[in-house]
Amino acid sequence: MRIIRIIKRRVHALLYRSNADAELQREIEIHMQQLTNEAIAAGMTGVDARAMALREFGPIDQIKEKCRDTRRVSWIQDFVQDLRYGVRMLRQSPGFTAIAVTTLALGIGANTAIFSIVDAVLLRSLPYPDPDQLVLMFDVPLNRPDALSGISYRDFTECRGQSRVFSEMAGNTFHDLTLTGAGEPSIVNTADVTPEIFSVLNAKPLVGRTLLAEDGKKGAAAVAVLSENLWRSRFGSNPGLIGQSIALDMRSFTVVGILPASFRYPEGAPAQDVWISVTQDPLFGPLTSQPGVRLLGVLGRLKPGVPLAKAQAEMKTLSARLAKQFPAEDSEFAIRIKPYRQVVVGNLKPALLILLGAVALVLLMACANVANLLLSQATSRGREIAVRLALGASRARIVRQLLTESALLGLLGGVAGMLLAGGAVRGLQPFLPSDVAPIGAIHVGGPVLAFALCLSLAAALAFGLAPALIATPANLQKNIKEGGERTGQRGGRHLRSFLATTEISLATMLLIAGGLLVRSFALVTSVNPGFDPQSVTEAEVSLPQFQYSTPQQWTAFSNELLARLHALPRFTDSALAAPLPMDRQGQAAFAFTIAGNPKLPPGQSTTANYATVSPGYFRVMRIPLLHGRVFSAQDSPSNPSVAIINEMLARRYFPNQDPIGRQMRFGFPPNGNVAREIVGVVGDVRDVALSKEPGPQMYVPFAQAPLYGGEVVVRSSLSASSVAAAIRQAVHSIDKDLPVTNVASFPDALGQSISRERFRTLLLGSFGAIALVLAAVGIFGVISYSVSQRTHEIAIRMALGAERRDVLRLILGQGAKLALLGLGIGVVFALLVTRSIASLLYSVSATDPLTFGIVAIVLFGVAVTACYIPARRAVRVDPMAALRYQ
Amino acid sequence: MPKPSDLLQGTLDLLILKTIARKPLHGWGIAKRIQTLSGDILAVGQGSLYPALYRLENQGWICADWVESDLGRPAKVYALTPEGRRQLERELKSWNRLSSAVQLLIQNA
Repeated sequence: MRIIRIIKRRVHALLYRSNADAELQREIEIHMQQLTNEAIAAGMTGVDARAMALREFGPIDQIKEKCRDTRRVSWIQDFVQDLRYGVRMLRQSPGFTAIAVTTLALGIGANTAIFSIVDAVLLRSLPYPDPDQLVLMFDVPLNRPDALSGISYRDFTECRGQSRVFSEMAGNTFHDLTLTGAGEPSIVNTADVTPEIFSVLNAKPLVGRTLLAEDGKKGAAAVAVLSENLWRSRFGSNPGLIGQSIALDMRSFTVVGILPASFRYPEGAPAQDVWISVTQDPLFGPLTSQPGVRLLGVLGRLKPGVPLAKAQAEMKTLSARLAKQFPAEDSEFAIRIKPYRQVVVGNLKPALLILLGAVALVLLMACANVANLLLSQATSRGREIAVRLALGASRARIVRQLLTESALLGLLGGVAGMLLAGGAVRGLQPFLPSDVAPIGAIHVGGPVLAFALCLSLAAALAFGLAPALIATPANLQKNIKEGGERTGQRGGRHLRSFLATTEISLATMLLIAGGLLVRSFALVTSVNPGFDPQSVTEAEVSLPQFQYSTPQQWTAFSNELLARLHALPRFTDSALAAPLPMDRQGQAAFAFTIAGNPKLPPGQSTTANYATVSPGYFRVMRIPLLHGRVFSAQDSPSNPSVAIINEMLARRYFPNQDPIGRQMRFGFPPNGNVAREIVGVVGDVRDVALSKEPGPQMYVPFAQAPLYGGEVVVRSSLSASSVAAAIRQAVHSIDKDLPVTNVASFPDALGQSISRERFRTLLLGSFGAIALVLAAVGIFGVISYSVSQRTHEIAIRMALGAERRDVLRLILGQGAKLALLGLGIGVVFALLVTRSIASLLYSVSATDPLTFGIVAIVLFGVAVTACYIPARRAVRVDPMAALRYQ
Repeated sequence: MPKPSDLLQGTLDLLILKTIARKPLHGWGIAKRIQTLSGDILAVGQGSLYPALYRLENQGWICADWVESDLGRPAKVYALTPEGRRQLERELKSWNRLSSAVQLLIQNA
């Protein structure tokens, strides 16, 4: 009861503070009135009576303060008061507030945006239960431990049967199949799996069932599991679809279940539409019985508590057993395992960590800037603070007040930063590299907001503490004697110079890192890829293998298609090729041997990238012919097999010889040993990536090495979309069930291939730009403040005969000294730091002197320019006025 | 060296409680009464009565309300709460113990 009354009273006191104060005032007033009345009654005059009453009562203000103190809620009131006071201070100097909040918003916003990406890619857990038990398994050639490959179906079955450390193991591969029947024919991303994959990943169907062990046996009925997306978009969410059949590559599959849209494997890959047993796939099904074909990616789930090392040790024993049992295929291989998470985020991690580090530097600079601003402000508030200290406020109390103001600034900056981050994340979305984009929606969610909030408060403490401590000197007397204006000036000046120098060195590092990436990106985009992508449109055509099963059919189709395309108006040239340079699905490399050369020692091989192209290909792509001839219609299956090699292959393997007329043996399996006569040498083409030097390449005529489809390339003055429509029409006029996919203008496709480079260049470049602005503002603030403090000194100098030039030199010299010091430190650190981005650079050294030089010149120029404005003000000082004022 | 008010604080609390135990009173009335009983305690100033009143109110021993008073206008009148009454009894007891102990000490010294 008493407790309740006490609490009620304190809450009341807190809520109705001004009310309570008024009551106290009234109560005391009544008492004073009575005392005065008594004194008057005793015969005193009004004024004397009042004075008497005051003496009797005692010091009113002290008594009031004591009464207030009894309420025991003063720390909250102090806080509210500080907050109110802080808001008033911030509103009083809107310029200061705007600069500080903008600076912080830039810093916090950039950090929050990058963190939201890090959160999505590195921190958010994989969408499978106990993801740390998941490992991937690879076959690795003993002599090349870095060349990871898949595992053959037979070896997978052996491993699965013999392993004791895995609770389950599953294989998978991918194949695009053509879905026909319901609407437009379309390509569906199909996962060819062994049925265990669903239990490894704990996937539960939305409707029906997933694959059972029987479905994976050879000769079982063909069944398929569809994705929720396909089910909704293509089949109108019809629950009756279960048990019905669909046509994949013109072959009938019975639908047995639907998987929810949330299920996806592997994480980060394009979403799959259909899951079937690998044994049912038209391409891979027959290959499962070939033990030399390592077609399966294998995913295993370790038994709980089994360490990775133990699993690796078991695989070593197992590999040895397999090598002994199947020496023909497995003697040169061993099975290696890698944690699944490491494989997924492995190649993204370094770049993201670099970005996170860079963006942290930006925040550090923002903090330094705001600290600088606060320092100038606190110094000009020196007199006020000194008076408050003199009146009995404790140092801790004033530091607390100043920190409250900082926290307020930090939070304002944080809120603005979060808004900025939200916008930035949306704005960055289109630039996200294609391998990051699908990893999951990148959004500013709970953890990200918590991060931003912590960041704001940490930043507030970082930029607020030093100024607050410097503003409240321990030695009060000295301060008051000096009129308070020089409060903490000495410590402040050093700290300010230190902050400005730090900022410039941070900016140096960021600008150099950004500059290196920008230069590298410029080099990549301006590199000559060896072909001319302008006005070229590409489209993928793929033939269902059940319907188009023979190479003769493939050739007939391609001939027909090219003939129809050639007939179209304004189609300058067209060709068919597989694969194209920068193909999404990568390049194919084959081993080759040169007739007449000594046999290579066992275990060694010469390889080159391989493409099968129709005769017009080199014209469409404008790849120059250097010797011999290009393919023609005469290079048919009935005529001798021919090949064209690139300059690199000619130079490396036919040094000082004429390759024309020589023979090479290579080819797409099963034609791996066909002898082909070299009829031409063409220019090198960058086929793997724009940043990768071309390697040896060999081309064969499509008619002699046909595939079940390929990439159509068309050179035309028409727009990409009308070319695409024409290609579609031509394909459908031959067969209305054929899908045409991945239509793009070649320059766009090239742009896509460098999306990663563009993304990090964009980010680091903007960080560099922000850093430059922050550094300029920082040094401007320091020099301006210094000029305002040195007005007196400057006036004396000028009065004693210093020229304006001398004053200008004095001020600029001060700025230049800071800038040079910062630059020096920054360059040293940059030399240490840029090594970490060396792997991201293309044909630019991490210590590229040109970049270092340009950055140094630009930064120095900007810093000196920023100093010039206050220096001009110093020059305009009127000595008489300044001295009189002082 | 402790100030007199510190020494006498406990005594002041006791006197306030005792004063308003008979009937609720406003600050002026309490001050007058204590002064008539013992002029010295409030020698530092009648104002020092108020922090004590506020403290007692915060501890829940007394409660206050603005009512019409003999002063011709509403005044804040303090009254004992039931807990305050018990507290007064406790304080009186301990005061009696202390004073008889001091008495004993002085007699036997």
